[in-house]
Amino acid sequence: MSVRGAIVRLRAVAGLALAQLRRAPGRTTLTVLAVTLAVLSVTVLGSLGVGVVDKGERGLDNAGQDIWISREPVDPSAGGTANPISGAHARSAELSARDDVDAASPIAMYDVYVGTEPADLQRHPAVGVQETHDGFDFEAGDGFEVDPETAATPPPDDPQREEIVIDPRVADDLGVSVGDTIHVGTSRETAATHEFTVIGISGYYSQYLGSPAVTVPLGDLQAVAGTEGTDRATFITADVADDADRETVAADLDAAYPEYDVRTSDDQIQSVLEERSIVLASGITLVGLAVLGGVVLTANLFALVAHQQREQLAALRAIGLSRGLLAGVIGTQGLLIGLFGGLLGLAATPPAVIGLNRLSASVLGFEDLLRTPPAVYAGGFTLALAVGTVVALVAGWRAGRYARIEHLEA
Amino acid sequence: MSNQSVRGSRSSVRDRADDRESASAVRLADVRHEYGSTGGRFRSGGDRTVTALRGVSVDVPRGTIVGLEGPSGSGKSTILHAVAGLLVPTEGRVEVDGTDLTALSDAERTRLRRRHIGIVFQRFYLLPSLSARANVALPLVQAGVPRADRRDRAESLLEAVGLGDRATHLPGELSGGERQRVAIARALSTDPDVIVADEPTGELDTATGRRVLELLTDVGRDRAVIVASHDEATLSVADRIVALRDGRVDDVR
Repeated sequence: MSVRGAIVRLRAVAGLALAQLRRAPGRTTLTVLAVTLAVLSVTVLGSLGVGVVDKGERGLDNAGQDIWISREPVDPSAGGTANPISGAHARSAELSARDDVDAASPIAMYDVYVGTEPADLQRHPAVGVQETHDGFDFEAGDGFEVDPETAATPPPDDPQREEIVIDPRVADDLGVSVGDTIHVGTSRETAATHEFTVIGISGYYSQYLGSPAVTVPLGDLQAVAGTEGTDRATFITADVADDADRETVAADLDAAYPEYDVRTSDDQIQSVLEERSIVLASGITLVGLAVLGGVVLTANLFALVAHQQREQLAALRAIGLSRGLLAGVIGTQGLLIGLFGGLLGLAATPPAVIGLNRLSASVLGFEDLLRTPPAVYAGGFTLALAVGTVVALVAGWRAGRYARIEHLEA
Repeated sequence: MSNQSVRGSRSSVRDRADDRESASAVRLADVRHEYGSTGGRFRSGGDRTVTALRGVSVDVPRGTIVGLEGPSGSGKSTILHAVAGLLVPTEGRVEVDGTDLTALSDAERTRLRRRHIGIVFQRFYLLPSLSARANVALPLVQAGVPRADRRDRAESLLEAVGLGDRATHLPGELSGGERQRVAIARALSTDPDVIVADEPTGELDTATGRRVLELLTDVGRDRAVIVASHDEATLSVADRIVALRDGRVDDVR
């Protein structure tokens, strides 16, 4: 009887809680929405975090570079980076000559003016590299590859290849396609004198720079910028030999070149994330507030329900209903709200992620920025359970306190 | 009355004490109670005590309605609470069906109350978001009665109090008299031996109150009923009236 009775009571408590929720649709909707928003904010931020880290890792993996050498913390989104490394070609050749490094190549970044007419130019970030790679995923055309000999020698005074890979949005804006020529220069004056042929359309570097970018052979970019003399670059990236340990090589290089910052690609992602720490902290704070708001609103509402019904609860306690059963009826409402709101939050995650991905693709140029592995859903559901439990405990505890004979008017 | 419907399972919710022979369903013997004293459940705060009952003795045989009469503060509600086991008097014995409530633990008193005592409040105290039927069935939830049986019992009780067609109505959709009848049906749901009613017509107009009193009279045919009231009409249904003053029995008639 006792087990059967307990099951009967549990089912009745759930039924009574559902009945109470049904009879107060406004309150139920409000609390469900609060939990839904809290869960949704967690899953969306989680998706964003997973996507950003994944994208960063894949980007660096595609680049095939294990070690990043720079002179000072680099903000990759800042177009006007100072390119603090000088003698970049020689330094790269020196690194490539090491046994534990397969290849090293410099990367320079400048803001450039591009346009079909010298009088009508747009400003975009440009990345100078020795070669494009598989990660570029060209929409049209192809990339370039500087031969090893050229790559090892200091840059010429004038652009040699005069080739450029442009972002699809730049191509649209300028109305050009593969095979067309455009003016390129670090100032309006230099742009008038340099013409490059569009050989490929790809938004690869745009993802990391946060705006539509163009890619040109490093020597050409340096020549256009007029830095070929000092041979300046922003980074030197190094591909570690198969039999060498990345961390060990990075430590060796750090010791050998104390004037440089040497980072592995993992460190590089971490450093970028650290530079974004305020943004991350803001995001986490907002999510924290959403969760706190959801919990406080829901718990408070059901504690209020318990308060409103304190005389009835006291009367039912007087009749002989246990405090646990009465607390259960109120607390179960909180738990049900937590679960239902949580499931709704999870159900709303895919459309929210799809919508935000579209927005990020069109505004920022990031494709599939938000990712939703099962862990994101598991995290959201865990949160919903936690919210439901907290609300149930608070509301149930309040109900239990009210279910005392003292609350009856004698 | 169709109380037969709840009589059927009476043995299942009864205590062993039920089998004992007892001349009175309820007996109070030399009961004294001080609020604020250690023996009481209620503390009035501070060190001052208020004596609510002074040597009260009352017998209520089964099938009898006893009315408690007296001004506010005379001890009517304290007697009802003592009979219901909601408080333990400072001195004296309170027996229900031969069981001395003062010798029981809190849990035992609660169990005895659940099985043997029905309480009717002046202000009904129905849960506003539950239907009349669910309110009536609520005490059966605690007893672990299955849902279908709870429903049947609640519907037959509502039928018995003349609200068969109001089973699915919310308390807010019922008149005051109807709500009190639902509350009486709830008090009867566990088929108790004793009903205590505190000002059961206090919130009702005269005509409605009369119908509720007829119901209580009907209920009292095979139970012990104790009704506390200021109202002459309410007390007129009692077989015996105990007049209280300053916590003492002033008159019995």
